[in-house]
Amino acid sequence: MNMLEVRNVSKHFGNLVAVRQISLTVASGELRAIIGPNGAGKTTFFNMITGFFAPTSGQIVFDGRDVTGLTAEERVKIGMARTFQITEVFPDLSVNENVRVAVEARAGYALRPWLPADKRHAVEATVSELIARVGLVDKRDRAVGELSHGDQRTVEIAMALALRPRLLLLDEPTAGMGEQETYQIAGLIRRLHREENYTIILVEHDMRVVFHLADRISVLDQGALLAEGEPDDIAANRAVQEAYLGKAA
Amino acid sequence: MMLVLFNVFNGLILGAFYVLAALGLSMILNLTNVINFAHGNFIALGGYLAFVLIPIVGFWPALLLAPLLTAVIGFIVEKTMISRIYGRDPIYSLLLTFGLAFMIEDACRYIWGVNGLPLTTPPSLSAPISSEFFFVNAYRLFIVAIVIIAVVALFAFLRFTRMGMRIRAGMFDLETVAALGINVKLLRSLNFACGIFLAGLAGVLAGGQIGLNPNMGDNLLLPSFVAIIVGGMGSLVGTLLGGLLIGVAAAVTTVFYPAASDVVIYVIMAVVLLVRPRGLLGEEGMQ
Amino acid sequence: MSDLAQPPGIVVQAAERRWLRLAVIWAVLIAMPLWMPLVGGYTDLGARILVFGLAAMSLNFLMGYTGQVSFGHAAYFGLGVYGAGFILLDFSHSTLLALLAGILLGGLIGAVIGALVCRSRGIYFALITIAFQEVFYYIGYKWDSVTGGYDGLRGFQRQPIHFGLFTIDILKNDVAFYYFVLVIFGIVVGLMGLILGSPLGRTFIALRENERRARFLGIQANRYIWLSFTISAFCIATAGALNALLNNFADPSSLDVTISGELVVMAVLGGIRSFWGPLLGAAVFVVVENYLSGLTLNWLFFVGLIFVIVVMFFPRGLLGMFGQRRAV
Repeated sequence: MNMLEVRNVSKHFGNLVAVRQISLTVASGELRAIIGPNGAGKTTFFNMITGFFAPTSGQIVFDGRDVTGLTAEERVKIGMARTFQITEVFPDLSVNENVRVAVEARAGYALRPWLPADKRHAVEATVSELIARVGLVDKRDRAVGELSHGDQRTVEIAMALALRPRLLLLDEPTAGMGEQETYQIAGLIRRLHREENYTIILVEHDMRVVFHLADRISVLDQGALLAEGEPDDIAANRAVQEAYLGKAA
Repeated sequence: MMLVLFNVFNGLILGAFYVLAALGLSMILNLTNVINFAHGNFIALGGYLAFVLIPIVGFWPALLLAPLLTAVIGFIVEKTMISRIYGRDPIYSLLLTFGLAFMIEDACRYIWGVNGLPLTTPPSLSAPISSEFFFVNAYRLFIVAIVIIAVVALFAFLRFTRMGMRIRAGMFDLETVAALGINVKLLRSLNFACGIFLAGLAGVLAGGQIGLNPNMGDNLLLPSFVAIIVGGMGSLVGTLLGGLLIGVAAAVTTVFYPAASDVVIYVIMAVVLLVRPRGLLGEEGMQ
Repeated sequence: MSDLAQPPGIVVQAAERRWLRLAVIWAVLIAMPLWMPLVGGYTDLGARILVFGLAAMSLNFLMGYTGQVSFGHAAYFGLGVYGAGFILLDFSHSTLLALLAGILLGGLIGAVIGALVCRSRGIYFALITIAFQEVFYYIGYKWDSVTGGYDGLRGFQRQPIHFGLFTIDILKNDVAFYYFVLVIFGIVVGLMGLILGSPLGRTFIALRENERRARFLGIQANRYIWLSFTISAFCIATAGALNALLNNFADPSSLDVTISGELVVMAVLGGIRSFWGPLLGAAVFVVVENYLSGLTLNWLFFVGLIFVIVVMFFPRGLLGMFGQRRAV
């Protein structure tokens, strides 16, 4: 069962070709890492999958359904949730409130000026459960803007989980983090994948995280798909090594 | 025919004012993202300072000195007040300059009174040029001439001087300019002062045409915003075109539907903002 | 779940504080006719504070809670004024009908305009709201036959309200009128508070905090901004209708962009991140205007100065200085 099929997707910005004819398929329950040197088009590719902008050509099929024409909001409603390279949360609100907004949005309550007591309690229970699941119970009343980088990212992931997604898209989840925090986030992602069977697509630069977590890896270079396979194969792949070393030299 | 000509000419005069006022506003906006709601009040201030200076130094020196003095005041304001809110949401600049507008307007009212004051211009400028084109009097040509000189001087300054190039670079990418080691604080202050100079000049010219009163800048403030929006934010040439366009549009409306000439500018503003927010020459996604 | 590991005391304390705050505010408002004369004021001033307080709080619904700054919101205030005026002048003596007419006129037109502006953001949003207000101002003073031009609608007065068995004379009795205004104020403010504490309110706040994140939670930003705009328009139109009753006239000055600016000043002064802040800001503004304008012609200068100082050093406004950090 394929969760996501990307067919020949390209993105042109005027004369600049950011993504050229990429096709890939992610199976249900898989954790796919997308890697590549800087400027390879990873985030652009990501943005097209999640509906941030439309591809110039190509198709995106999500769980058998063509979503190429859907807006970002619509894609969220049918089961895609994402986090951003620069954490996007509600900084002045508490952890509890952040997750609550996500839960209420998912439940279709975003428009309601009033909730009866039973629904309210159900929401609060879901929020508490999510916060516990990601391990932020002792910080639940603190403003997210004041938390550490790692904790903010964790809140963002909790919000993504609140959407009960079928596909989780994480854009550089360990970006800008130190050892401890990277470990914390990687551990959370691993749990979500192994224990809760989420289908996850990950853009990452940190190779340790990539090799630790991924079932399969897709390598992008200069907007095109360079190689794809299991971690060991990718590690041994000459072209991939050249792409990285070549850029560094 | 005469009527249309009359109005197009009027439109160009009006447009010239809008251009002068809007260019100053645009410079400040482009470099620092500051929305100077007090711009109209600086215009009034320029006119009033000319009123003070003309008896002392005469008209022609005052034409230069009054805007200069206004620019100095602008420089001080920038250094003491505006520079504090640069890092914040642009809405703060709106609010700050809004409060500033109150202050300047009331200060003018306090110093120079509520009623209108005349600004004496040299008699040589008051005479009509020709009896056939009765509406073309020397003062109006003078306004157009000064505006042309100012605009040319401005673009030359931006194009050919070191400071001007830095400002232009800063409008494009201020972070990089800072990274190159250029004193961005000073750049902002000078840029602001420059914009205020243009405002002051507009005030002197307007004063000579319609007289001075504390609210005189109000009629130029919102049209200046419209000029910037129509022309496209981020583009000075766009502002130039925008100002002329709305001036002529307002004047031409007087021919066909005089009652609406006041409001046509706002209608244009609403239409542009709804249909093509980036204006004529603005870039997509500019805020 | 036992993971609700929150010491219950903290939650209770926060809730208790809120009730205490509410109780104090309402005590002050209800007792106004008693203490106002003691500080040299008069009941009419109190009513005026409530009217502008309501207007500022309505604006803040959009500005402080949804994050969109409108500099043209007094348009819907003015429409509320005229709506009430139209009824009282030519139609009926019913205060409640006048109120309703004002609310509907301002609110419905606000809904229409809101649909047009809800796609804009930031400075564009601010400017386009001004543009629309200018159009209404222009209509107000040009369409003589309907609006009475510069003079506006004059020659009506608020009428006593008859409830069958008893009558509330809001015309002659200033104190009765004040309490009438307070009741309406309470209803509207109560509704606003209810909404802001609900999931809908949290959606508005989410949009203020981070629109992109809200979008990626499936929230369609434009739709909610329209809704917030519309709700605030209805509320501010109520203030407008009350204003017509307060002044016993309706004129274009209520449509002036200056009023919009003053409302923004009031909200920011009092604190846009606080629910009651704008009321405090309105109180300060109205009182200062009332007293200083007697002392010096240039009170606006000082208001401007205070405002500038607040924006520079106390962006959270007066109430922000007392540690009110969060909106929810």
